[in-house]
Amino acid sequence: MKGATILLIEDERQIRRFVRSALEKEGLRVSEAETRREGLVEAGRCQPELVILDLGLPDGDGAGFVDDFRAWSAAPVLVLSARSTDYDKIGVLDAGADDYLTKPFSIGELLARVRALLRRGRARPGAEAARVSFGDVEVDFSLRQVLRRGEAVRLTPLEYRLLAVLVANAGKVMTHRQLLHEVWGQATGDNSHYLRIYVGHLRHKLEDDPAQPRHFLTETGVGYRFQL
Amino acid sequence: MLSSILLSEDPLSPPWRRYGLAVLGCGAVAAVLWPFSSQLDLPNTVMCFLLAVVVVAVRAGRGPAVLASVLSVALFDFLFVPPRFSFEVSHAPHVFTFVVMLAVSLIVGQLTAGLRAQARDAARRERVARGLYGLARELAGAMGVEQVDESVARFLLEQWNAPCCLLLPTADERLQAVGRRGGAAPVVDAGLLQQARDAQRPLALLADDGSGCHRHVLPLVGTTRNRGVLVVALPGDDGIGPLLEALSALVSTAVERLHFVEVAQAAQLEAVSERLRSSILSALSHDVRTPLTALYGLADSLMVGPPPLPDEARDVAGAIRDQALRVNGMVGNLLDMARLQTGPVSLRKEWQPVEEVVGASLKLLGGALEGHPVRVLGLAALPLLEFDAVLIERVFCNLLENAAKYSPPGAPIILSADAGPSMVELRVSSGGGGFPPDKLQKVFELFERGQAETAVVGMGIGLAICRAIIEVHGGTIRAFNPPEGGGCVAFCLPRGTPPPVEPEALPADGEGA
Repeated sequence: MKGATILLIEDERQIRRFVRSALEKEGLRVSEAETRREGLVEAGRCQPELVILDLGLPDGDGAGFVDDFRAWSAAPVLVLSARSTDYDKIGVLDAGADDYLTKPFSIGELLARVRALLRRGRARPGAEAARVSFGDVEVDFSLRQVLRRGEAVRLTPLEYRLLAVLVANAGKVMTHRQLLHEVWGQATGDNSHYLRIYVGHLRHKLEDDPAQPRHFLTETGVGYRFQL
Repeated sequence: MLSSILLSEDPLSPPWRRYGLAVLGCGAVAAVLWPFSSQLDLPNTVMCFLLAVVVVAVRAGRGPAVLASVLSVALFDFLFVPPRFSFEVSHAPHVFTFVVMLAVSLIVGQLTAGLRAQARDAARRERVARGLYGLARELAGAMGVEQVDESVARFLLEQWNAPCCLLLPTADERLQAVGRRGGAAPVVDAGLLQQARDAQRPLALLADDGSGCHRHVLPLVGTTRNRGVLVVALPGDDGIGPLLEALSALVSTAVERLHFVEVAQAAQLEAVSERLRSSILSALSHDVRTPLTALYGLADSLMVGPPPLPDEARDVAGAIRDQALRVNGMVGNLLDMARLQTGPVSLRKEWQPVEEVVGASLKLLGGALEGHPVRVLGLAALPLLEFDAVLIERVFCNLLENAAKYSPPGAPIILSADAGPSMVELRVSSGGGGFPPDKLQKVFELFERGQAETAVVGMGIGLAICRAIIEVHGGTIRAFNPPEGGGCVAFCLPRGTPPPVEPEALPADGEGA
């Protein structure tokens, strides 16, 4: 992770200051931009391995930046959002951003997200492990087998597909829309309750306490995050 | 010339004038013919009298025509048929002449008067139809109910000299007259108005002022509901039923159109003000949170180091960080309360399991619940509910945080649920002293705190937000102290009709996962 270049697009100087110092202490290189336009130019110049993008930029919405950036780079994008009810972030995540942090955030949270995203970025492309284990669950994708405490867990085809999509995007926020699209093949609003029901099934089959999940996490109003 | 005579008369002149005309007509014919009686043949004289009957029939109608017929025969006999000045008949065939003359004049008179009446009727109908057409055009362009009222009143005055009164329901369903026209407006008892509205059928009542006027109460039947009542005072009620129906249909259409225009405008205005409100609040939120984020992050970076700070400085940095977080929480609460209190909130309702939101709230609170074991009972069995997940998460966070704050360390927090026939009740209970019994209602009011003198920090806004959120979801919330001790807040959400869910079959053994 050391030496990776991170582009920080944020218009508030004091926030840039502490984010930069925290990242540099981790041995990362940081370049800064204050506006969306400047950010795009800077991204083209420094080829970042991760972009941290503030949603309250003076010159326009984050979704536009992600659209433009995604046209030529697959590097992960971490969004900083002003509040939990800020629905703009759903648009940015749908557009291809990978994760978000709600302000105010602690340095610990920030670094955890950054590390996870850099790891994901490095692991690409397409090198998903055939075997994944989390908690007391083991999934072997080559055998289509799910074991919990050594015993086979029976999943329906849709549950299995949902599990596969979530695991493949571990650590990343998946919006409802993205999951519906990947698992059901469409992003219709009519079926969104199915997604919630199936995530509930997975929790009941694979989590110790379905009401306090540790792996299949809810990002309220946004979607889900699978955490190893 | 004839047509000008036929059309110049007033069909509504008083009876004495019309019968007078009959007498006068016959008298005049007799007077004119008298000097020439020696030169004129009797048949010519008869013809002249018949002409008089026709003219009377045209100008004065059926009754005077009958009178004219009888008078003509009498005058003819008395003045022109020998022996003169006597009703005696010297020549037997003259009797036949009189009978035929009477019959012919009666028939001609009746036919003429009938045709005339029909022509008059047609002309009146045409005039009314034209008036209705003009009214329809005016109503189609009316910009407000006052204009509708004015057009209708003018139409009725012009057509029948009939005063009217348009009554429309107010917001609380009381009927209120549109516009003020002084004493001219007909008055009808409110109970009768309501009766006509409920029956959706016109009523005709005889006015009790002895004028012989009828009060026609016409309910305005809209496509979805009654739109009000039109009261018309008319001298008679013969034959204008269909016209009044047409009139009330026109007025209801106009009133309904105006109503929907108003609804659409209100919705648009509401959407605009909601957009404005939420953009002001998000700008405010962004502007307040930006320095708080910097404050929080900078204090945190001091704590994290390196270089490691001396213990005391580290404590100070930690305190700054925690206070920043607290201010952030308060700002969040205040902004949410502002959003909920300043007008209708657009909810992002979706069907989802409650268990999921509870899980998210517990994770969000994390450290705040430290030392309080949380037990979740009966949530998995609940049906899907339709709610805004972000807001309901807020409710759970506030309730759980309160439960942790006001109960002794180590006391468990219990989250339980029950599904009733139409509502689902969710409860958060905790140990401790519970709510002061006299404040069970008041704790949901803004800036009201259960225990005012305690050292526990807070503003008394959390439960007020909970109540506002539950109420916009169509639910209720209450606080009570259960008999087993501690305090409990319970809220209900409506069950509604969840979307259908088709269960998916498990694959056969040995096939896939």
